[in-house]
Amino acid sequence: MTSNWTLRCVVAAGVSLFAGASVAQAVNISYLTHWSPETVALLEAAAKDYAKTNPDVTVTVRAVPFGDLLTTLRSQGGGADGATIAGIYDLWLPELVRDKLVAPAPEAVVGEVKSGWPAGVVSAASVDGTLYGIPNEIDVYALNYNKALFKDAGIASAPKTWDEFKDAATKLTKKDAGQQGFGMINSWAAGVVHPFASLLVSNGGDLVVDGKPALDSKQAGETFALYEELIKSGASDPSMATADANTTGPFLDNFVSGKTGMIIMANWWESALKSGMGDKFADIATAPIPVGPSGDKPRSISYSWMTVVNANAGEAEQKAAWDFLAWLNSPKSAQNGGSAMAGILMSMGILPSRSSDVEAYKDKLGSDFLAGYVSVLADAKPFPVVLGGQEFSESLQQTLEAVQYGQTSAKDAQQNAQKDASAILEKAAR
Amino acid sequence: MTQGDRRSAALLLSPAVALMCIFVFLPTLLTVWLAFQDWSSQTPFSSAAFVGLDNFSEIFGTSSVGRDFKGALANTALYTLLSVLLILPLSVALGLMVHQRRIAGGTMLRTVLFSTYMVPMIAVALVWSKLYSPTEGPLNQMLGLVGIGPQPWLSSPSTALYSIVLLNVWQQIGYFTVLAVAGLTQIPGSLYEAATLDGANAWQQFRSVTLPLLRRTLLFSAVIAVINAVQVFEPVALITQGGPVGSTNVLTYHIRRVGIERAQGGLGSAMAVTLMLALVVVVAALFAYANRKDHE
Repeated sequence: MTSNWTLRCVVAAGVSLFAGASVAQAVNISYLTHWSPETVALLEAAAKDYAKTNPDVTVTVRAVPFGDLLTTLRSQGGGADGATIAGIYDLWLPELVRDKLVAPAPEAVVGEVKSGWPAGVVSAASVDGTLYGIPNEIDVYALNYNKALFKDAGIASAPKTWDEFKDAATKLTKKDAGQQGFGMINSWAAGVVHPFASLLVSNGGDLVVDGKPALDSKQAGETFALYEELIKSGASDPSMATADANTTGPFLDNFVSGKTGMIIMANWWESALKSGMGDKFADIATAPIPVGPSGDKPRSISYSWMTVVNANAGEAEQKAAWDFLAWLNSPKSAQNGGSAMAGILMSMGILPSRSSDVEAYKDKLGSDFLAGYVSVLADAKPFPVVLGGQEFSESLQQTLEAVQYGQTSAKDAQQNAQKDASAILEKAAR
Repeated sequence: MTQGDRRSAALLLSPAVALMCIFVFLPTLLTVWLAFQDWSSQTPFSSAAFVGLDNFSEIFGTSSVGRDFKGALANTALYTLLSVLLILPLSVALGLMVHQRRIAGGTMLRTVLFSTYMVPMIAVALVWSKLYSPTEGPLNQMLGLVGIGPQPWLSSPSTALYSIVLLNVWQQIGYFTVLAVAGLTQIPGSLYEAATLDGANAWQQFRSVTLPLLRRTLLFSAVIAVINAVQVFEPVALITQGGPVGSTNVLTYHIRRVGIERAQGGLGSAMAVTLMLALVVVVAALFAYANRKDHE
């Protein structure tokens, strides 16, 4: 009887110890993103695959519209209950690091990233030489044009210079049919600033040089003047240019429905174009940004995204998060030599930045639409990642929108933009 | 009141007072304190550094921070004024209509009017952003049927704010109509009978009986409409993002952008304090006006 009770006690103690150990090992991590439900489903499927070999780690995905992503990060990221992992735009990194919201990458991840990604992409995910995230996507801007509208207007090929660009925009404009030659964007900071910056660098200029704004240059003046000319000639209609919080809206609708001849946009909107245009997506082609009078060759702007880990999350969560991210971004997570992350990105038409992913998806990256983007990547300049970068972008957005709506001249816009940018960047650097 | 009564009263009131202190007065005082500090909203309060009136001088200055804030303040004031000017008369007109019990379908009309108030703003924003679409929106298509050309609605800085006001009026009108109906039911029918015997026509009855006796209801409606309008956020965040050219950038949205997105907690707090003071002044002015009318 006594030995029977002793045995029961030993078994009970063993079971409770085992259960305790299981509870101690179980880790829940969350992943904050701005992706669409279809893409979130792919990420969730990858997390399920990861759970097969890591049954104690549960990954849940939280999705918010792009317009709310930074706010969500800022408002929830300060606490331990904030998302463990977040996909962020490189422009936001310096301020998130300054405010100690993101954790530096562990040594093993640093080694993996430095050997697997191009140096420029690694530097965009670093602040003062410390790596804070695993880069995933790289986006670059190019000219998208509607071949059917070009044919109707008697234009043989994509414009290579600003003169050809202005000429094409004029020929493509049919006011009676509600058709504009070139589509600008408004009400969305990156959508306004990145196309302008692409034209600026293709004209030999820069937004920021050595941490100081360079909008007072001759090249910037010519770019502001180009915008003014396109608006004044009617080749670009600002009322067709509005974007909403999901980075969709009339500017996209007008291009998709053949009311806009050309637009400067990044590769990631391939999926939006495909779903909006169906078979007519075949009418869309990609070309390098036209070269301005002060430029030497076609250039454009690039920027990257990365996944970071919440510095306020618990030690176990941080460890699990880095392990999951390292797996998600490595060839181990997929069958074709590319990573699961690359598969998710390619589903949206986004270029992966890991060298082995680029190799694994070589065929798909050679498609008519994406090849045009891949071809301009080598000469793309990274969008300046500086403290105060978001405020700088929003300020330039206001100035450019004022030009779009004829509220200010190109000359005044240039002066205002330089003055505001100087004040913003100086204050942020203090 | 005996000392025991006072103790009991204090004991009974203390939970409510404590909750108000924690959730109302403390955050308000904290916001006022932060308005005089240089503070990143992602860092502990201990990192805040006293800067005196610098934040206020910056938001009323000539830099881009000042320009954006003053623009947002003006947009909020215009939005509030237009919303109140449209909502109050419309709610009284609709209230008079649905208050007529003899009209068939009055209850149904009341339900339909109030239902707009129950629709979540996310749904309202999604639907209205499509209704307003310049090329494919039903509103422009309907205008086209009567020979009116397409309107830019949300796509032009000269019309975007008015379009958001219309959306707000559409959503809120049911609630204010219910308030107006509640006020109308308090007016004794005998007053209308007396006025009829005195030979007053419908318009005279409205001016001399209905409106004066609705004054308290209208004051309440005006205060609530002002507070609701000043707090407008969702349609701007969901549809226009404050654009184009900052034409729909209202203060709540701008404070969120500055205080949270840019983490400039001191500046954001200075803006919030200014908004609070402006609201207090407007509401106090409304009450003062109503009191003066009462004394007349």
